[in-house]
Amino acid sequence: MSSVLLLNLAWQISTLALVALGLAIVFGKLRIMNMAHGEFVMIGAYAPVITSSLGLPGWLQVPVCLLSVGLVAFVLERTIIRHLYGRMFDSLLATWGIAILLRETVELLFGRGYQSVTPPISGTLSLLGTEYPAYRIAVIAGIVLGFGALAWWNARSKVATRIKAMVGNPDLAEAVGINTARLSAGAFIFGCCTAGLAGLILAPTIRIEPMMGLDYLIRSFFALVVGGLGSLEGLGIGAGIIAGTQSVLGALANQTYGYLAVLTLSILFLWLKPDGIRSSTR
Amino acid sequence: MAFVLLPVSLLLAALLLVPEVFGDFMAYQIGLYLIYGIAAQGIGFLWGKTGVLPLGQALFFGLAAYATAITLRGDSGLIIDLTLAVAVLAAIAVFAFVLAALIFRGRNESGPYFSLITLALVMIAEQIAGTATTLTGGFNGMSGYASLGNLDPFGGFYYVIVAATVAVSLLLLVLNRLPVNLIARAVADNEPRLQLLGFPTHVIKGAAFAFSALIAALAGGLFASHQGIVTPTSMGFGLSAEMVILTAVGGRFHVLGPLIGAVVVGWASAELRDSFPYWELLMAVAFILVVLKAPGGIAELLESGYRRVRPARPGKRSEPVTAPATKAVDAAGPLRFDDVRLKIGVVCILNGVSFETPPTGIVSIIGPNGAGKTSTLNTITGNRRTTGGRIALGSRRIDSRPPYRALRSGIGRKMQVPSVFFSMSVSQNLSIAMMANRARLVDLFRPSTFAWRSRSLSALLKNPSVPLQEELVQPVEHLPQGHRQFLEYAMTIAAEPRVLLLDEPCAGLSLEETALMTRLVRAFQAETGGLVIVIEHDMSIVEAISDKVLVMHLGQVLAFDTFDKVRVNPEVQAVYAGGTK
Repeated sequence: MSSVLLLNLAWQISTLALVALGLAIVFGKLRIMNMAHGEFVMIGAYAPVITSSLGLPGWLQVPVCLLSVGLVAFVLERTIIRHLYGRMFDSLLATWGIAILLRETVELLFGRGYQSVTPPISGTLSLLGTEYPAYRIAVIAGIVLGFGALAWWNARSKVATRIKAMVGNPDLAEAVGINTARLSAGAFIFGCCTAGLAGLILAPTIRIEPMMGLDYLIRSFFALVVGGLGSLEGLGIGAGIIAGTQSVLGALANQTYGYLAVLTLSILFLWLKPDGIRSSTR
Repeated sequence: MAFVLLPVSLLLAALLLVPEVFGDFMAYQIGLYLIYGIAAQGIGFLWGKTGVLPLGQALFFGLAAYATAITLRGDSGLIIDLTLAVAVLAAIAVFAFVLAALIFRGRNESGPYFSLITLALVMIAEQIAGTATTLTGGFNGMSGYASLGNLDPFGGFYYVIVAATVAVSLLLLVLNRLPVNLIARAVADNEPRLQLLGFPTHVIKGAAFAFSALIAALAGGLFASHQGIVTPTSMGFGLSAEMVILTAVGGRFHVLGPLIGAVVVGWASAELRDSFPYWELLMAVAFILVVLKAPGGIAELLESGYRRVRPARPGKRSEPVTAPATKAVDAAGPLRFDDVRLKIGVVCILNGVSFETPPTGIVSIIGPNGAGKTSTLNTITGNRRTTGGRIALGSRRIDSRPPYRALRSGIGRKMQVPSVFFSMSVSQNLSIAMMANRARLVDLFRPSTFAWRSRSLSALLKNPSVPLQEELVQPVEHLPQGHRQFLEYAMTIAAEPRVLLLDEPCAGLSLEETALMTRLVRAFQAETGGLVIVIEHDMSIVEAISDKVLVMHLGQVLAFDTFDKVRVNPEVQAVYAGGTK
């Protein structure tokens, strides 16, 4: 295996894990089948487009991204999502409507065409005997560190337990003093913001357009299904299998075979092992 | 019949007027919306009744569309074309049935996973259609073939579409009046209960899915002939989602709802798309509002408006018909547990349970919470697969078979928390129970099956103390807890099981109701000479009805004897008095 392929694999897996993280929270913890997840990635990716069109300095991309995604997520949670806890099919349908709404809004604002932005770090680094874009290496390293920190925090924090209690029995959770409205809104907004950040990070490497979210949604869903809901390990394993299959087959044969293999794999998991490889209640 | 003929003739008249009033081009457009509407009617049937949401219906639509395009390109004459069409429809229905039945086998819910599988399938199909250029023409699609029977898409073909629309609507309206409709709705309402009544729900869901696929395929065939071109988007994820939206907006609980949705949305979209830039936003908001506030869609709103003008009259009740005898069951003899073990995750629930009941009589199971009483019943009905040991009824081994076979092997069960069909009326609940273990496939398509009554059920309903007789038209969700207990009991004994399992039948009952329930159980046992197993906490009831008492503790049998002997057993006393054990 050539070192470029290896680095591409690391890039695909780490970015998919980052994209799927938000869905792991919203679908895995809150049980909202968020079909609009990809649209939050898309909105995040538009943050550099916003800053450059307003002539703002580059360091404002992160706050602009978090603000716009967070605001949209907050409004949607308060008006729509909060009615959908415990109604999985309805959540699927309503968020499908939200996805259309967000796509169309962005299209009205920015037009249908492709946008592209330049990476903040340019040039290449020599790694494993090959030249690889420095930005991608920085992103991979950042994601690995970020997930390490998240795992460390997750092992100590009680937030995940509170969310589980809230989803399992909202009335009882209220009775033992959990502010369910704030907790669910917080978790939803946090999940969407991670999706937005993923979009911002991916933005320099992709074509930005209103319809781009669907592919991220599908791959995130299948990563979670294969890996198993509810644990960071499951998320990592699922992202590894989905992104791994797609990039290895894509490199060896062609992109279509990679895509078909991922879909087939997902069907087999959904059918025979719907709880995924690692299903944890934690 | 007026229920069926009136809406169908109104529909037919309206559709026939379209070319006269609005002209041929409008009829061409309406024809396309009707084609989508037909496919959406199939989705409405599946989703509105059985609760299974298909997200990949364009798979069947597109398969049929491509098959039609290939056939028509062959230019081999109408007879051969139609024969091939029937073959393609049959193949698609079989494929859909096998797919759904395989996936649903061994499950008792319709969760989102099946929907995601259909979604992944349609994405695979779209991808293949786009890349298999030699077969499908790739992204440019297939075109350049004549329409079916060389009918003009702007003229005569409209009437073919109208005929298909009316035929599908008629079929669906007739199905709505038949017992099979009740069974399909029962799947969405309470699938575990339907399984315990002996219905293989995975087969029912498979059949419903196949039927909806068949309708989608019919629409797809019409589409290919009407449009003269088939591209991968006709088999795509986008079209699948669009058809679900049409179904939801139009109303999935009504036969004509999805048609209304398709025509209204299609027409409004054609009118407004160019002049009104916020049209797509408006559609998205409308769809979200329907999901949140009006799950019945436009059709439900129309109906409630109509009902305000003309309230529904209760239909006259048909005279009861004597139900056929239950299917023969060779279940006789004692129920025997040999070292039965049940482990769920790391928790050992049953640790080697062994006992043998007498062949007839009433056996009570008692024991502290967590002793494994309900789990014991779960292993008998197959709701839980044992992890060791064997269970036999007479000479037949019965452990680890699926729950829908329990009744067939002679076992009926009443659950701990009353488990009935909550969205239905009492008499509909009883109708389903009367079909259990009696109805053959053909009976599900005969209206007279609704009126089936067995002698023992009639006797139970005529008992003045049993509260159900006056509540036959009431929806079950309005019944108090005690009445639900009696309803579930009546439903369980309606199938006349040889072995009756009752899980705390007196929970939540008043003193009088408790006395009535114990009388009924004793009378049932005396009449049938079968075996009754009761889980009960109230020792006075246990004393009153039990021939033998099985005491369980920590997943094992502590004692199995007559009530008096069990009462003086020091080990049993230790458990109940909080001793050392």
